[in-house]
Amino acid sequence: MDLRWHHFALWAAFIGGMLALPQFVSSGTLRTIIFANYLAIFAISWDILSGRTGYISFGHPFLIGIGAYTTAILTKRFDIAVEYAIPSAVLMTMVGGLILFLPALRIKGSYFALVTLAFMELIYQLVQVIRPDLTGGTRGMSGIPTLTLGARDGFYLSFSLMAAIALSMWLLMRTRLGTALSAIGMNEESVRGSGLSTTRLKLFAFLTGAFVAGLGGAFYVHYLGSIAPRALFDINFLFTILVAALIGGLSTVIGPMLGAFFLTFLLEYLRPYLPGAERYFIYGGIALLLYMYEPKGILHLFSRGLDRWRERVSS
Amino acid sequence: MAQIIIQGLLLSGLYALIAMGFTLIFSVGRVLNLAYGSYLMIGGYVYFYLTQLLGVPKIVGILMATVAGCVVGLLIYRLLVKQLKGDHVAIEISTLILAVVLQAGIVLLFGDSSKILLPIVPGVIHVGGATVTFSILAATIISWVILIGIYIFIRKTHTGRAMQAVSMDAKGAAISGIDSDRINMITWGISGTLGAVAGVFFASYTQLSPSMWVAPLIIAIAVVIVGGIGSIIGTLVVAHIIGFMEILTTAILAPEMRGVFTMLLIIGVLVIRPRGLFGREEL
Amino acid sequence: MNHPLEITNLVKKFGGLTATDNLSFVVEKGKSVGLIGPNGAGKTTIFAQVMGEHRQTSGSIKVYGKEITKLSTSARVRHGVSRTYQIPRPFGNMNILENIRVGLMPDNIWQMITGNPDLDREEELALSVGFTPGDLMKTPSELSMGDLRKLEMARTMATDPSIMLLDEVFAGLTVSEIVQIADLIQKMRKDGMTFLIVSHDLKALEPMVDSAIAINYGAMIAHGTLDEVLANEDVRASYLGGTG
Repeated sequence: MDLRWHHFALWAAFIGGMLALPQFVSSGTLRTIIFANYLAIFAISWDILSGRTGYISFGHPFLIGIGAYTTAILTKRFDIAVEYAIPSAVLMTMVGGLILFLPALRIKGSYFALVTLAFMELIYQLVQVIRPDLTGGTRGMSGIPTLTLGARDGFYLSFSLMAAIALSMWLLMRTRLGTALSAIGMNEESVRGSGLSTTRLKLFAFLTGAFVAGLGGAFYVHYLGSIAPRALFDINFLFTILVAALIGGLSTVIGPMLGAFFLTFLLEYLRPYLPGAERYFIYGGIALLLYMYEPKGILHLFSRGLDRWRERVSS
Repeated sequence: MAQIIIQGLLLSGLYALIAMGFTLIFSVGRVLNLAYGSYLMIGGYVYFYLTQLLGVPKIVGILMATVAGCVVGLLIYRLLVKQLKGDHVAIEISTLILAVVLQAGIVLLFGDSSKILLPIVPGVIHVGGATVTFSILAATIISWVILIGIYIFIRKTHTGRAMQAVSMDAKGAAISGIDSDRINMITWGISGTLGAVAGVFFASYTQLSPSMWVAPLIIAIAVVIVGGIGSIIGTLVVAHIIGFMEILTTAILAPEMRGVFTMLLIIGVLVIRPRGLFGREEL
Repeated sequence: MNHPLEITNLVKKFGGLTATDNLSFVVEKGKSVGLIGPNGAGKTTIFAQVMGEHRQTSGSIKVYGKEITKLSTSARVRHGVSRTYQIPRPFGNMNILENIRVGLMPDNIWQMITGNPDLDREEELALSVGFTPGDLMKTPSELSMGDLRKLEMARTMATDPSIMLLDEVFAGLTVSEIVQIADLIQKMRKDGMTFLIVSHDLKALEPMVDSAIAINYGAMIAHGTLDEVLANEDVRASYLGGTG
């Protein structure tokens, strides 16, 4: 694991800086950052599952939704304490990850993406009709216990969670495991030909991705205090996650984080001019252009700019 | 019973029309165009704008909708699909992003709320206890006419045969002098046109809304996946399977469950038999 | 006697087509065997069956006496068979060292996480196939066809094989690259590696092999030294496009 002191210095500076943030910015901005934090968690988890292995999932809200609904139902309908509900939710999400993994044994590429899309639509419809007394049916649930009061605490919780996930995933993906997972995305046959069981590696990626998605989904629902099927199992939500990971930079941990913050703030800055869903017109347009002309993402753009700057300084 | 059969036939005809344009592109270019639902949305909104806001005659409205669909189809091919040069997953991702962008564009122009389309052909007819609007009847008849037309076009005309050739073996077709870029252009144009027509009828069957592209896209995906690559007969058969399943679920179980079997069908077929039930590698 | 590779009565049918027709042969330890035959004779299909990329219809494949026909591809690699491809399949966004790293990894997720990559061994393998220290950070898009083949040889070597299957190692190479790859194979033969080599370039193949097997329509039509095999009437007929 090629770790240098400056890596940790950067992480420490980033975490320290962010934790000091509530002293300087308004609670409105803090709320925006809370969303960015959760989006970053979702994007990181999508990247572990799809970005690295190349098994593009269009059904990520399926996983997040399992986590969110499990903890919402347990706490609201059965009065189970959050400290038991959230771990159960994460476990259920990992079972969901296992379900998503089964088709990956047989199909890949476009077909796999479609199956996952079908999974998301399927659970969207099932949630509304099966036991609406538990799920709240089409209207969803509200009054789910929240963990924090106010923007400040919400920010501290969401950022700590995001930073812990990001740092641990960053460390994990810097090991040979990260190399092996990325290798699957580049050429799965060659990974098998190198004597590695790609089935086991993919299973690990799917379970880890689901773990992170479940954790994020569960905490997110305890931040919002409400849940609605259309807001969750929605192509627009999937689109936001996907775009954050894609334009940030696939197969990295920092990329999806960067993408999530970039997009959340872009949306926020557009709000005064375009208050509704039409903001996605600009947001999506930028995402499409970036994806088509810089498929490696903004992280790559930054590092290339940095290289050029270094060259200029040294020459 | 008669009601179920009649409703099933009507809905299935519409579904076959919806899926047709998607099938063509998938067969000729092996590309899953997730912005396909947007053609329906654009067709529906253009028709709505011209006939109900400007008062243009309906037939002109339909024609202009098809023109708009065709142009959008060609633009997507030129500006997006061709640039990505056969990277199927990238095409899928970017057409999905595009679909959301187009949805936002519609919100920008027409607002978020859904719109009711006036019946294209006013009037109803009672058949065996079932009430059938002339609009949906017209939609079914027109989709059958179009489907037969496409079938003949592909079998009998020079261009249609060239499309068949490209769909079977793009390289071989190129060697025998077929300009596959031209064939692709034509296919994307036809696909956009078909999508827009389907959109006008689909919107009159349900309603116009910025998110109306999702449901027909899923239907088109289901039909193509289950029907197998580019078989026109497969498309027809599966459109009827799905149409009847939806009508039956609505009648017997619950209207909210109508999509559940479609999803299960997609998942089941893709996992068990990825080539589809009628998986022939030709049109 | 256990051999690095022992194929017995191997049959592979694709629908009505027999791609491998009751094939039996043995590759002895430390020997290098050429597998020749005209286009479509079924050479690559044999490789694919040995690696488990295609399942045979019937027959047995043994590595040092151990039946491997039921194992997955990755398990076969860990049992000591490894192959290269006619069109190299590197990991596109990784540099040479990282490409080799994948071959060196243990098939155990916990060890992947806790252990560190063996940078010395990675470099040693890269240099042993003829890369220079300046090449190590290059990615496949910066490499020539010859370099890509070297990279694939290095990654294959990293899995510590007891037999290597080389598929059309000389295809698409310049004359000087052919010489480099040939030198590399000769060096490895001297070190005791066992080879099964497919090549169209019989001239380049000639010094690489101890013996040869000729197949046509999936069946063995001759075996012996390469000269003997090439002198065989059936072999000549098959190369001339006759019905064999």
